[in-house]
Amino acid sequence: MSSDNPTGRKITIEFDDKTTRWFMLASIGWGVVAMLVGVIAAFQLNFWQMNGKFFEWITFGYFQTEGIEFLTFGRLRPLHTNAAIFAFVGNMMFAGIYYSTQRLCKTRMFSDLLSKIHFWGWQLIIVGAAITLPAGLTRGKEYAELIWPINLAVVVIWVVFAANFFLTLKIRREKSLYVALWFYIATIITVAMLYIVNHLQIPTSLTHSYPVFAGVQDALVQWWYGHNAVAFFLTTPILGIMYYYLPKAAGRPVYSYRLSIVHFWSLVFIYIWAGPHHLLNTALPKWLQVLGMFFSLMLWAPSWGGMLNGLLTLRGAWDKLRTDPVIKFFVAGVTFYGMSTFEGPLLSIRSVNSLAHYTDWIVGHVHSGTLGWNGFMAAGMFYWLAPRLWGRELWSKNLANFHFWIGLVGILLYVASMWFAGVIQGLMLNETDPSGTRLVNEFVQTVDKINGLMLIRAIGGTFYLAGFILLVINIWKTVKSGIPVNETREVFDDPEMKKDKMTWSAAFRNDPIAFTFWGLFFGIIWFFLPPGASHMALLCTLAFAALAVYRFKKDKMDWAKWYDDLSENYLPFSVLVLIAVAIGGGIQIIPTITVNRAVNVEDRLQKVYTPLELAGRDIYVSEGCYNCHSQMIRTLVPDVLRYGDYSRLGESIYDHPFQWGSKRTGPDLAREGGKRGNSWHYLHMLNPRSVSPQSRMPNYPWLFEKKTDFKALPGKIAVQQRMGVPFPIMTPEEIEQHAREQALEIAQSLVDEQVKIPLKEGQEGPATASAARDHLAGKEVVALIAYLQKLGQFEEIAPKETPDPVKPRVIKPAIPDENRMTPENVPEIPSVTESEESDAPVAQAN
Amino acid sequence: MQKSSDTSDGITLRDHVYDGIEEYDQKLPNWWLFTLYITMVWFVIAWVAYYQLPVNAPTDYEKLHKEIAQIELKKQAELEKMLASLNDDSLLEMSKDPNHTSAGQAIYESKCAACHGVDLTATLGGVNLPGVPLNDSEWIYGGNPLQIMYTVTHGSPDITKGMIAWQAQLSPSEIAQVTSYILSKQTAPPEPALKPRTEI
Repeated sequence: MSSDNPTGRKITIEFDDKTTRWFMLASIGWGVVAMLVGVIAAFQLNFWQMNGKFFEWITFGYFQTEGIEFLTFGRLRPLHTNAAIFAFVGNMMFAGIYYSTQRLCKTRMFSDLLSKIHFWGWQLIIVGAAITLPAGLTRGKEYAELIWPINLAVVVIWVVFAANFFLTLKIRREKSLYVALWFYIATIITVAMLYIVNHLQIPTSLTHSYPVFAGVQDALVQWWYGHNAVAFFLTTPILGIMYYYLPKAAGRPVYSYRLSIVHFWSLVFIYIWAGPHHLLNTALPKWLQVLGMFFSLMLWAPSWGGMLNGLLTLRGAWDKLRTDPVIKFFVAGVTFYGMSTFEGPLLSIRSVNSLAHYTDWIVGHVHSGTLGWNGFMAAGMFYWLAPRLWGRELWSKNLANFHFWIGLVGILLYVASMWFAGVIQGLMLNETDPSGTRLVNEFVQTVDKINGLMLIRAIGGTFYLAGFILLVINIWKTVKSGIPVNETREVFDDPEMKKDKMTWSAAFRNDPIAFTFWGLFFGIIWFFLPPGASHMALLCTLAFAALAVYRFKKDKMDWAKWYDDLSENYLPFSVLVLIAVAIGGGIQIIPTITVNRAVNVEDRLQKVYTPLELAGRDIYVSEGCYNCHSQMIRTLVPDVLRYGDYSRLGESIYDHPFQWGSKRTGPDLAREGGKRGNSWHYLHMLNPRSVSPQSRMPNYPWLFEKKTDFKALPGKIAVQQRMGVPFPIMTPEEIEQHAREQALEIAQSLVDEQVKIPLKEGQEGPATASAARDHLAGKEVVALIAYLQKLGQFEEIAPKETPDPVKPRVIKPAIPDENRMTPENVPEIPSVTESEESDAPVAQAN
Repeated sequence: MQKSSDTSDGITLRDHVYDGIEEYDQKLPNWWLFTLYITMVWFVIAWVAYYQLPVNAPTDYEKLHKEIAQIELKKQAELEKMLASLNDDSLLEMSKDPNHTSAGQAIYESKCAACHGVDLTATLGGVNLPGVPLNDSEWIYGGNPLQIMYTVTHGSPDITKGMIAWQAQLSPSEIAQVTSYILSKQTAPPEPALKPRTEI
């Protein structure tokens, strides 16, 4: 036991294990839902009938339908991801945190009321998500789909959780913070930061809003959020859980304290920068792509630090691997963590990414993380907790072992099939004829080719779900025959305990902070200064690094003591975490928001949508089309050959939200406008297989029944205008009239081509051509066609006049792409001959 | 600073215990540290090389423009070569050669049949498809062999009300083969075009 001499009064406390039990059961329940929806969505990609048509068969024709809107892939996939992340892993994380934090702090949670509000609030949010997402109420940004009232609830509940957690740290009876708590702190702070920034939006109604960012800015903010949701919702809390439960289960000391320190700080600092690797080869400015790629590579070692500390802790306890299902799950979970954090940097290399991005390889990569790391860590933790929370042995160890093996087979089937599917499809998409001028395969052929592999994926997922249901049975049986136990423990209560006494000055005015600060300061201005000045900045960074190494060797003990002191003070510690995670996002997002705006666009500028096209776009977002279709032609030859000229930054600059997409189960749509006739789109939405026989897209019959909401348009356009989209000034009446006229025009073109109007049984179709036109004009499908035909329209912007070369010679920071040094752009050497004729626009330091 | 004790094998075991969890303080594995350092150094080198040295590495855009321009040149040359050897008569000649028409049929079935029907009637099981029938000897843009070929190559004048241009997906010789297949299916001579176009 601790060698710290116990002082103070001996008291008995009772831990709040009820909250842990609730969160654990909630996680298990939602886990089944999340995985079941995932399995259904997986089968939908093989069998389009799974989007609703199958109801005809299972009701023996009683229920006639061509498709059910609430069940389409575009709506279920967000439900699957949100449920898996926020409901399954979220509740699991809370269970793990509530249990371990109380014990690591030797105190009951600060407030039972806050714990209760946290639990029930979170479950209500999940129920809200489960209702709104299938209903098509979405913000259209991945893992951030929930509508704004739910966003507000999430923020409130997260603040409740944070308050409860930090106040528990404040009243702790343990001097210093164990490494698990560091990870929990990082989780709570960073998720709050990410969530708030990526959910800045202006509502247009109770269920709809537009994000404040658009186009490239929205893309950058979204993937800063999306990537770090993986980092700080699916990784850091689970690492914290690993640091508590794995040594507990193994009965061995943690491998290395100093590895904990180095990998914790490098992980939280570097992770934040890696977001742009989701946008490689796109219209995202190059410097962000370069940062995204290289910070992803730098992330490899910090990630593996966690894996090493986990696996090496088991040294001396490997025999338990044979008998203890908990250790089995933990070992496999940590190993999958290692595998996916190796694969991640690999996929972030731009050339690898050019093949893998938009394909199933990415889907496989994600699932080796979620199924392998999150799912198995959750299972291990639940099997470890159940006996302690319900006061009896696990109902069946054999069943838990069987769960492990069936789950493992499921993951391997899943990941392997997706890897092959991704590589095969990627290669097929890039294949050209011998002349190298034309692509060989139609998009639909490349998807058809991987049908079998996608089926294996769905089966793998089913295996995994089956294993999880075994867990449900096992836990259920344990709960039924056990009695809920709240652990009581004797602790020493010493109000005089030396903790949280560090002054801010002691926390921040010391060598480690000073060197980190100055090293980072020069490292960061190094990115933005013109050549010459930037070289100096880099030298300063390197000098500080060298000096830091020298001082560390000399004053090792002082540095170590400072860190030990810091870990006895939760507030300065948390502030440092906040600073560490805020830097990366700030450096990438703030310049992008200031520089990459419509007014600065060169080359091509998107044409503003007409009111009807905006209505169509909202339908596109609501149906979740972005789950299968990208709108981003990358700067790659095969992309350009297939879809047309590469997408410029200006071509989506007014898009609130951006719809660049992250997966192509169908082809890219960035230049879809004008490629096909209106009637083609009409037939395609009614039944994609009528015009593209191999298609697996769902039917969208409800678009032919539901009416376009013309009345909402003035309000929506007013919000877009407020956010700077230059819609022409129109009165609400004019807006509505304009939309209706455009709809009539499109409807007329459809009637001219004699399209069939789908009718319900017994319903009478419009008698005349003009009645048919009026009937169609009000329907959602016409608005959607208007939007699709607009995609890719732009106007040319004349190049900006080059600034006057006679400029005051000051060091002008700019985004790196503007400062880039090329032979024509060499900083002038102040000599008589050259300074006269050089017209380099960049000022430099001399 | 927390006290630490050395265990018998020289590994430091930290004194502090958290809820029964102890911590060793092992040295960082060298290979792990090197991985971290190498990735950092690589970043600095790559950044300096791309942004801050006067090397003339082309940007992504420059590279892409160059490659696409080369492809376009190649395509243009291919087209010109093909056109030099083609006229209405040679296309009609091709339509009698089963080698050409069977190749054309394969292309037709994979690309065209979805809208014009496998049997060229632009219907499927009695339902109208988006395309126009190709077996009714009625030609909106002209029924001479070269006119048909032109329409396949460039699509209809207003694409939102008609067919897409196929030149991006089919080579000139493939378009000629499809044309020959369509010609081979004609029974009656073409009626005068509604909106004739001749030039290619």
